[in-house]
Amino acid sequence: MGERNTPELLPGTLYMLILRTLAAGPMHGYAIAKRVKEASRDDIAIEEGSLYPALNRMLVKGWLKAEWGISDNNRKARFYRLTPEGQKQLEQEAAEFDRMIRAIQLVMRTV
Amino acid sequence: MLTELWNRLTYLFRRNRFETELDAELQFHLESRADELYAAGMSRREARAQARRELGSAAHIQEETRSAWQFRWLEDLHADLRYAVRGLRRNPAFAATAIACLALAIGANTTIFSLTTEVLFSQPSVRDADSLVSIRVGGSSHATQAAWRFLYGAKIFDGIAGENEESETNWRHGDVSERLFVVRVTDNFFAVTGIPLAAGRPIEPGAPGVVISHRLWQRRFSGDPAALGASMLLDGKLYSVVGILPRDHRTVTGFGFSPDLYAPTADPKTRVALFARLPEGVDRAAVQARLDAVYRQFDVQNRTPSEVSAAAGLERVSSQKLFSVAAFFGMLLAVAGLVLLIACANVASLLLARASSRVQEIAIRLSIGAGRGRLIRQLLAESLLLAMCATAAGLSINLVITSMLSRIRLPLPLPLQFTIEPDWRLLAYASTLAIGTCLFAGLLPAFRATRILVPQARQVGRGSTLRGVLVAVQVAVSVVLLSAGLLFLRNLIRASSTNPGFDVHQTIWSRMTLVSETRSREVAAAGLDLLRALPGVDSAAAARVVPLNGNITNGLSIRTDRGASSVHVLFRMNYVTPDYFRVMQIRIRAGREFQPHDRDVAIINEAMAQRLFGNSDPIGRTMTWDAGTIRVVGVAANSKYFTLGEQDMPAYYAPYDTTPGARAAVDFLIRAVGRPEPLVPEISRRLGELDRTAAVETKPMSQALAFALLPSQVGAAVLGAVGLLGLVLAAVGLYGALLYSVSRRLPEIGVRMALGASPGSVLGLVVRQSAILAGFGSLVGLALAILAVRPLAMFLIPEVHPTDPLTFVLVAVALFAVALAATIGPAVRALRVDPATALRHE
Repeated sequence: MGERNTPELLPGTLYMLILRTLAAGPMHGYAIAKRVKEASRDDIAIEEGSLYPALNRMLVKGWLKAEWGISDNNRKARFYRLTPEGQKQLEQEAAEFDRMIRAIQLVMRTV
Repeated sequence: MLTELWNRLTYLFRRNRFETELDAELQFHLESRADELYAAGMSRREARAQARRELGSAAHIQEETRSAWQFRWLEDLHADLRYAVRGLRRNPAFAATAIACLALAIGANTTIFSLTTEVLFSQPSVRDADSLVSIRVGGSSHATQAAWRFLYGAKIFDGIAGENEESETNWRHGDVSERLFVVRVTDNFFAVTGIPLAAGRPIEPGAPGVVISHRLWQRRFSGDPAALGASMLLDGKLYSVVGILPRDHRTVTGFGFSPDLYAPTADPKTRVALFARLPEGVDRAAVQARLDAVYRQFDVQNRTPSEVSAAAGLERVSSQKLFSVAAFFGMLLAVAGLVLLIACANVASLLLARASSRVQEIAIRLSIGAGRGRLIRQLLAESLLLAMCATAAGLSINLVITSMLSRIRLPLPLPLQFTIEPDWRLLAYASTLAIGTCLFAGLLPAFRATRILVPQARQVGRGSTLRGVLVAVQVAVSVVLLSAGLLFLRNLIRASSTNPGFDVHQTIWSRMTLVSETRSREVAAAGLDLLRALPGVDSAAAARVVPLNGNITNGLSIRTDRGASSVHVLFRMNYVTPDYFRVMQIRIRAGREFQPHDRDVAIINEAMAQRLFGNSDPIGRTMTWDAGTIRVVGVAANSKYFTLGEQDMPAYYAPYDTTPGARAAVDFLIRAVGRPEPLVPEISRRLGELDRTAAVETKPMSQALAFALLPSQVGAAVLGAVGLLGLVLAAVGLYGALLYSVSRRLPEIGVRMALGASPGSVLGLVVRQSAILAGFGSLVGLALAILAVRPLAMFLIPEVHPTDPLTFVLVAVALFAVALAATIGPAVRALRVDPATALRHE
C-alpha cells in the first residue's frame, strides 16, 4: 500500500466517511473500506490500522451498533449499523464539512 | 456523554468477549481480502501473505482498538494496585507494620474526632435548630415561671418555652422506688422545639403526660409498645406515658446529657431555662432589643441585660463560655494529630527504606524507558493501598471503641450518654486522613526513589539523612506526648493518694431522696436509729454536705470575743449529727463532738481556729455575726471539703438539727466495722422499708470519690496511652533506621574489621548514630514539651506543677531506655559481620 500515491485523508473526515457509507445500510468493516475506496475512485484508502479503532471509538460514542451476521461470501462477519445518534452526527458533520469546503473554495478563488 | 460512560463501563465486564470478537473480525477481514486477491488470480498462499501485509500489525490494531474503550488511568491504576498488592504480600512484615502504625493512629484520631464533634457540635434533636435560640433573661441561666409567662404573653417570639433539666423524681413501681432524671418542661415545650418522637404524642397544653426516653423504655418496659398509655407513679402522682423518644434523641442541654423522661413542671417554683423560636425574618439582635425593652417592665430592679444566643452548633460553644471544655477536646485532637504525625513519619521512613532497597529495580525500569511520572504513580499506588487498608482498619477500631463509649455510663452524678454514630463528617475526615497520609508517606519516597540516576544507584547519602530527620522528629513528638501523659499520671497518683483528711475505706454513703421535704427530719432520725442497730455498723451520722460531693461556701465577717475588729473569712459549711467525726474519722483536736440537742454551738477546723483566734485556745469562745452569737465547743482536724486540690480551707460545722430550710434528700454516712461492700445492699433495703416512696442510693465512700478523680483519670489514661503508643512507634522508627543503616554499611564495617577495627569501635559506630538521633530528638522534644505543657495547669491539682523538672527527667530516662533497646538489635547485627562475607559481596 505504501508505494501507491493516495492523498492524505483530511483530518477529522474519517468518521464522516464511515457514517456516510453506513447510511446506505449495515455493512462489515471490510466492505466499508472497499466501498470508500471504490466511491472515491481509488483516491481514498482507509488503512485497516485506523479503520477498526475508529469503528470502535464510534461504538463507544453510541453512533454505531454492531451485530454478527453472515457475509456475502458465507462467513461470520460483524455488521455495523447507524444509530439515530449516528444519523444526526452524520448530518451535522456533512453540513459543517460543506460549509468548510465552500469557504476554502471561496478563499482559493478570490485571493 | 452518558452513553459513552455507560458503554465504557460495560466494556469492563465483557473484556474477554471483546478480545475474541476483535480477533474474529480481523480474521474475517484477512480472509475476505485474500479471497479477493485469489479471485484476481493470485495463488492462495500469496493472496494470504499479501492480505496480511496490507493489514499491518494486528497487535497494533488490537492495542489501538482496546484503548478506544478503556479508561486509561483506571486500567493503569488497576495494574498499579495489583502490582502493589503483590509487592506488599512479598513483604508482609513491612506491610503489617505500616498498616498497624497508621491504623492505630487513624483509629485514635477518628475516635477522638467522633467524641469531639458529638460533645461540642452535635445538634439537639429539634425542628430547625437555626431559628431556636436560648434566652438568658437578666443574665441568669434559669428564669422564674412568672417571667416565662410574662414573655409568653409579650409575643416577641414565635413561641417561648422553658425546661428545667436538673430535676429528679421518685418512681414507685411494685415495692421499689427508683430515682429517675427528669426534665421538667412547660406545656408548650414540645410544640416550640419540635422534638421528634419515636412513638406516641408529645406533652401538649391541656394534655399532660410524660414522654419517656428510649433507654427507660427498653430498660423498664422491655421495648413493649404497650408502654404507651401505661401509668407511672411519680412523686406520689399518677402520670400516663404518652410518648417515647427515639434512641438518638439529643437534649437541648447537650453534652451527652440524657434524662430518663420529660414531665410537665409540677412545682410553680421550678425555675426554667428558656428556649424560643425567632419569628421569621427577624434576627437575634432585633429580638434582643425588643426583649430588653419588654423585660425591664417585668423586672424593674434588674438592670443586667438579657442574652439571646444560639441553641445549637459552634455558636453555642462560644456564647456559653465553654472554652475549657473546648480546650480539653482541642488538646485531645492535637495529641491524636501528633500521634498520626509520628505514624506518618514512621511509614514514610519505612517506605523510604523500601524505595532505597529498590533503587536498582527502579534504575533498570527508568533506563528501559519507563516514564518518571508513571513510576511515581506506581509507587504512590503502593502507599495509597497502604493508606486505604490502614483507614479501613482504623475505622473499624473507631467503630468498636465508639460503640463501647456509647454503651458505657460514666460514673457521674448526671445521666450522660453519648450517641456516637459514624456520620459523613467522620467519613470525610477519615478519607482526608487516608489521602493526606498517602501523599505525605508516599510522595516523598516516590520522588526520592525516581530522582536517582543509574550510575549513582548505590548512593545512599541523602536518603539516610532524611530518615534520620524523620526519626528525630518522631522522638521529639513522643517526648512532648509522654511529658503531658506523665504529668496527668502524676496528677492522678497525687490526687488519689491525697489524704482527704477523712476515712474512705470503711465509710458508706447512703442518700435517701424523699417525695416531699416535709418529713426529712423525722426520716433522718428514724434512719439513724435503724442504722445504728444494724449488725456490722460501727456508727452512723447524717450530714447536709457529703465531702467532695457537694459544697456550701460562705464568706462572712465574724467578730470574736477575743478581738474587737471583725475578720472576713471564706469557709466551707456543713451541718452534721453527733458521731459525724467518728464516722469520718476526723480527729477532734480540742473540745468535744456534738451532742444531741446541741444548739448555738459550733465545731470549727484548725484552719478556721487559726484564722479567728490565732494561737489561743478557742474552746468556749464565741463568734458573732448578724445571725447571732455561737459558742465554739470543738476543734476538728483540717480535711478536704469540696475538691482534692483545695489547701486547708477553713471549715465550720453546725448541729444537723439547725440546718436551715428543708431538703428532700437525706444523706447518711455510715462507718462499717469491716469492709463496707457487704453492708451496702442491706442498708439500701432497710432504709427503703422506712419509706417506700423514697429512692435510696447506697455506695462505699471510695466509689463516691471517683467523681473527684475523673478528670485526672481521663487525662492520664488518654494521654498516657497515646504517649506510649507514640513512644512505641518512635522506637520502631529508630530501630528500623539503625538496622537499615547497618545493613547499608555492612561492606564498610567488613572493611573496617578486616583492617583491624575492634568490636568496640564497630559498636561505637551504631551507638553513635543512635545517640545522635535520639539525643537530638529528645533535646528538641524537651524544649517543645516545656512550652507545650504549660497550659495544662488548668487541668491539674495545685500540688503538681507542669514545669516540674522531675517529669522531664523521667521522660528522658524512659526515652534513653527505649533507644537503648532499639539499638541492641542493629548493634548485634553489626558485630556479627563476617569481614570475609561482607567483602565478597562488594
